[in-house]
Amino acid sequence: MTMAQPLDVSRYRSERHIPWAPLSAEEIEARRLVQINAETVTHTAASDFPGHYGPEQDDSWVVERFRQGLKVDFHHNKPHDAAFSLVGIDASIANAFRRILIAEIPTLAIEDVFFLDNTSVIQDEVLAHRLGLIPLTGGREGLDWLHWFHRAPSKDAFTMQTASDGDETTPVSTHNDYNTIVMTLDIECRWATVEKDGWDGKKKAAEGDVAPEEKYIKSNVYASDLVFHPQGKQSEYFSGENAIRPVNPEILIAKLRPGHRIHLRCHCIKGVGSDHAKFSPVATASYRLLPQITITQPILGADAKKFARCFPRGVIGYEPDAATGEQKAVVKNPMKDTVSRECLRHDEFKGKVKLGRVRDHFIFSVESTGQFESDELFLDAVRLLRAKAERFKRHLTELEEGR
Amino acid sequence: MSREQYTPPTLQDRNAGPSSSSQQSQTQQTTSQPYTGGGFNLTAASLDALGDDSRPIHYLCGDCDARVTLKKGDAIRCKECGYRVLYKERTNRMIQFQAR
Repeated sequence: MTMAQPLDVSRYRSERHIPWAPLSAEEIEARRLVQINAETVTHTAASDFPGHYGPEQDDSWVVERFRQGLKVDFHHNKPHDAAFSLVGIDASIANAFRRILIAEIPTLAIEDVFFLDNTSVIQDEVLAHRLGLIPLTGGREGLDWLHWFHRAPSKDAFTMQTASDGDETTPVSTHNDYNTIVMTLDIECRWATVEKDGWDGKKKAAEGDVAPEEKYIKSNVYASDLVFHPQGKQSEYFSGENAIRPVNPEILIAKLRPGHRIHLRCHCIKGVGSDHAKFSPVATASYRLLPQITITQPILGADAKKFARCFPRGVIGYEPDAATGEQKAVVKNPMKDTVSRECLRHDEFKGKVKLGRVRDHFIFSVESTGQFESDELFLDAVRLLRAKAERFKRHLTELEEGR
Repeated sequence: MSREQYTPPTLQDRNAGPSSSSQQSQTQQTTSQPYTGGGFNLTAASLDALGDDSRPIHYLCGDCDARVTLKKGDAIRCKECGYRVLYKERTNRMIQFQAR
């Protein structure tokens, strides 16, 4: 019979987290990590809310602390593709920006197509749909100046009808120069002739030439064939290089053969991505969390090489190890990692590496379709979220005042 | 009502008033009123003027692909080759689609 051992407090302290003691710097840093194990992902939810770590820890949200923690760092910033890190915000806010970018920033797109003639092989409705998806661009000032076009609720969309019932603040608009851009497409394909083009398409066909561009004139309809017609005041905003035009002039809209003709007129209006994807200003707007690779024990020699090959090129580098003189694996650029967890599958790295992601480090990637520049779009998203928050606050005050 | 007499409803019928005539809108433009004429003025008449609305109907010969113009009471026969199968051309009326 042995006596009951007294509780070994030091062992207890080191292995278990004691909630009421103030957190050390490492512990505070560890709170920022999502832990990635071989088959599980843990600590996914943010825990930096008051009271979570006991009374000694001040987790209250302070603007000043938020300001100090917030960091924006651009990796590349091209008009059609921007990537930047947004550090120090909650996932809910970052996700709000992403969703606003995709679905709530207004852009201009073709909405109504009036067919006067279409004898091509592509059907009217398919062609109209294709036209709608063409990204348009024009003078930024003019696009901001354009008003909304409020469409009459569709007769078959019951939810839209009920939503607009008794809502007299948004009357149905009429098309005018403030809210509608007019574009036309009038194109007819024909055989190439000596008089008009300098060569005979029919002769080439008889000789066995199969290229349509050689035999016919205007056999391909491109987005650049859309002609913008400024109406009324629009010529003040959309003239010269500010004219409304497709971002990519070489989008193939349809293919024609001699005698085929497409003659149509389009009305373009402002809309948001939640209504239709054609109004979305971004091709993609997404974010990922910054991967973190922690090497807890040195990985040396041949193992270091193997370790580096578990990651995309450029993530792991080598350094001479001071103790053995061998090459040692070091983390060079975790930003490039795809978090494939390949290194966790090999026994030789067991207990030597920890994978994680930094929970409040968002690497945004915004790819604009071209109507606006990518970095501007993100600023617009911030503005929009701010406006929404202010509107919500206003409504709350109204509620409080009993209005 | 026959198919030929039917005219599709237009924007003009629904929003009678500010956009009643293009001339009126032109003068309104100087007094900074929204401009609703020109390209927005999609009445049946203005669109028919863009298309071809002559009374004789055009057909395409099923054999030689020639354009055959027939009036009421004409024999259904190609004037070039005498073939008796003619195809009707697409309507020259405007058709509206939503780009969705």
